Amino acid sequence: MTAANQGRPLPAAPRFSLRPALLVPVLAVAFAAGVGLLLIAMIGVSVPKAIAAFVEGAFGSPFALAASLNRSSVFALVGFGFVLANRANLTNVGGEGQIAVGGIAATAVALYGHVSGLPLGLAFILPTLAAVIAGALWGGFAAVLKVKSGTNEVISTLLLSFIGIWLLYWSVQSPLLLRKPMTSSATLPESLEIPEATQLPLLTGDYSFPVHIGLPLTLVLAIVVGVILSRTILGFRLRVVGLNPVAANRAGISYAKTVIFALSTAGAFGGLAGALMLLGEQYTLKDGFSSGYGFDGLVAGLLSRGSIPGVIAASLLFGFMRSGGINMEMVAAVPTALVAVIQGLIVITLAGAALFIEKWEGQ
Amino acid sequence: MIGISPGLAAPAAEPLLSLSQVTKRFGSFAALSEVSLDLRPGEVHCILGENGAGKSTLCNLIFGVHQPDGGVMRYRGTPFRPSGPADALAQGIAMVHQHFSLVGDMSVVDNVLLGRERGVLNRKGCARQLEKIAGDYGLPLDPFAKIEDLSVGERQRVEIVKCLIRDPQLFVLDEPTAVLLPDEISALLDVCRRVAASGRAVVLVTHKLAEIKKVADRVTVLRSGRTVASSSDPAGEIDALVRAMIQGNVEALDTSAASILGLEPVTHVGHAPAATARVEALQIDGLTVRDHQGVTRLDNFTLTVDRGEIVGVAGVEGNGQSELTAVLAGMMVATEGRIHLGATNLTGRSPKEITAAGVGIVPEDRHAVGCVLGVSLAENIYLNRLHEFTRFGFLNRAALEREASALMRRFDVRGRGPGSLFSSLSGGNQQKAVLAREITLPNLSCLVAAQPTRGLDVGAVAAVYSHIREACSRGIAVLLVSSELDELLTVADRIVVLYRGRIMGSCPADPARKEAIGAMMAGQPQ
Repeated sequence: MTAANQGRPLPAAPRFSLRPALLVPVLAVAFAAGVGLLLIAMIGVSVPKAIAAFVEGAFGSPFALAASLNRSSVFALVGFGFVLANRANLTNVGGEGQIAVGGIAATAVALYGHVSGLPLGLAFILPTLAAVIAGALWGGFAAVLKVKSGTNEVISTLLLSFIGIWLLYWSVQSPLLLRKPMTSSATLPESLEIPEATQLPLLTGDYSFPVHIGLPLTLVLAIVVGVILSRTILGFRLRVVGLNPVAANRAGISYAKTVIFALSTAGAFGGLAGALMLLGEQYTLKDGFSSGYGFDGLVAGLLSRGSIPGVIAASLLFGFMRSGGINMEMVAAVPTALVAVIQGLIVITLAGAALFIEKWEGQ
Repeated sequence: MIGISPGLAAPAAEPLLSLSQVTKRFGSFAALSEVSLDLRPGEVHCILGENGAGKSTLCNLIFGVHQPDGGVMRYRGTPFRPSGPADALAQGIAMVHQHFSLVGDMSVVDNVLLGRERGVLNRKGCARQLEKIAGDYGLPLDPFAKIEDLSVGERQRVEIVKCLIRDPQLFVLDEPTAVLLPDEISALLDVCRRVAASGRAVVLVTHKLAEIKKVADRVTVLRSGRTVASSSDPAGEIDALVRAMIQGNVEALDTSAASILGLEPVTHVGHAPAATARVEALQIDGLTVRDHQGVTRLDNFTLTVDRGEIVGVAGVEGNGQSELTAVLAGMMVATEGRIHLGATNLTGRSPKEITAAGVGIVPEDRHAVGCVLGVSLAENIYLNRLHEFTRFGFLNRAALEREASALMRRFDVRGRGPGSLFSSLSGGNQQKAVLAREITLPNLSCLVAAQPTRGLDVGAVAAVYSHIREACSRGIAVLLVSSELDELLTVADRIVVLYRGRIMGSCPADPARKEAIGAMMAGQPQ
């Protein structure tokens, strides 16, 4: 299902062989989940009830399953962008802002771009493209800062995220921008709902299982990114610039071009993720639209250690966990904070497991 | 032990440190296997071996950086297993490393005091101690000079004094002469003798035979992590020691490589003179480089290299060579001056354009500039020509590795195959790969090679020379930058000497001029 299954494995991924690489993360997740359940028991919530709520929310119904998969695509896209830029030794932590500007651009084009009458799916393709371009510009800006003045991209992408998040806030608060016309003082600070033609088509066409075309698109992009990284001169240039920018320069590989390509592509993936969230699920732009998806996608990218299948695995885990966690909170009254604690535990044990695997393999 | 029967030495003193059957593994690789060695008080004991023979590992075991996996070390008769350098120091073992560990912004006294004193610093007391040591061993130093104002030789003196002030019983020097001027080397060897004469044991790691002839009481030869020979009469048995070091193949040794090692007196080998009349290839005109602080690093450097000529740039490191090669490689922009290759103006061109114009560059810092350790050997060999193996953006690795294999055979690059990681190659093979890449540029007309044999063993040195000579006989202009004067005297046709960024003088590469060139390297015009 992923790039790694297409012929040879990715060059940077197979640091460890399959057995411990699969077993250890599974054990880590099981351990963290066990500790989480213990915490739930300690605050007096019935553990079976909490588990039932989690399962129900994550994959208990076609609707829940679809919601989880849609979430996973968003995490995966941000994760792919992270992995691609990271191949050039760049750390894009700006997924959150890139999602936000992607959402703004998609909303603007969908609502006010006169696209809803266009044929051949252009009604939703153009808003998506707008989001991709907005994300690419957001990431590319950080790249230009880095190339021109050496600004560390960790700082610039992070700070650009805050700018993106507040731009979103501003655009849904201001009636001059995307806020829907105020008919009464109770009108919420959000955009109008986008026209139906601009919404992403559902795979089944059935709202009881609302997986949209973002999922297959994500899988195609997984293969594309995997092939780019492992088979093409582009992927090789990313790697060389990441490993030794000075030698790359001597060999005639442009540092500036490579950095700009890497970070704007990462940004484009963030923007696309924003488009999927808006055009595929939420349909109206609200304050808090990005709700931490960019940071979760970043964590998926980090945990994958540079492997596309790894990103997919981590994204599925996060997608289902988030859906299950929301339901656990609503149905079993497990506090949000505790759900976040459990997620954090899983991330830490997974990261620790990766270290453990490296040590184990190194001997 | 094979090869050489140890001569009957004077009744052996009780060894200060003895190693028996010591083994050290890194993963599955045995860096040292069953090495046995005695170090006696009052002797200078040289450790001889090629790169990767395990010399540095041996030093690191003695100094406690690594712990042995097998065998026993005994120090003054008791089992010895230092837990780390601090432990070894406390027990009277001191080591001067290949790379200096001095704080440039601090004075000599402060560097000597570093890590030794707590609370209030007694600078005056330390300065007095320094002067005493300076007198005892012939190591003159100004205690209050700043490190960054000292020459390389003086900095090394500081390192040595830092060790001696601890009054060590065993004094280990790991390849200390690599960066020194000829007369600084003899001064250093003199210090070794004096330290030994005071009843201490000195371990000197080297691959220069001239030094062994001069200073060694005993020699132990390492090859592939094993002791393969030892001698108590090194000067008399030098040929056999060399044979042991390089596996009994002195005949195959390039005469010029042999002279670098001090095995033979320097003779100018030269090459078949190019048949055509002189044709200027590389013209460097008034090249000047000032750094960010406005310090002039390269001052009005003007030089012409003809086709089929090898011009050597001599000088102690740090006298502008790095700036010169960086500018020629397009990695640095000169403040003033012009560079032409034939009729093509290369001033201020990018590395890519310089490569395209037919200039091959072997950079002095191979790892920083010349290669990418984390990708394959094949990808490194074709690093600047990968577009030739690309179709529709896809890299044809099969074709790449096939072509790279051919070059590996031609340049005798030994590795596990073209697909192996570049970092898995030895330094010599890495250098041969970089040379292969630069020398096989399709339209090569000029080769700039900076310190091309640094850190290489005998066989690799010979290979590098023969490739450079072969390129030259094809009519390539070669600029060879080296801090090894013997290397330039044997390979080059003409030598210019750089001192503080200026050309101090130039002369034919005649071994009879060695003294004069040495003096120019030290800043005395001839």
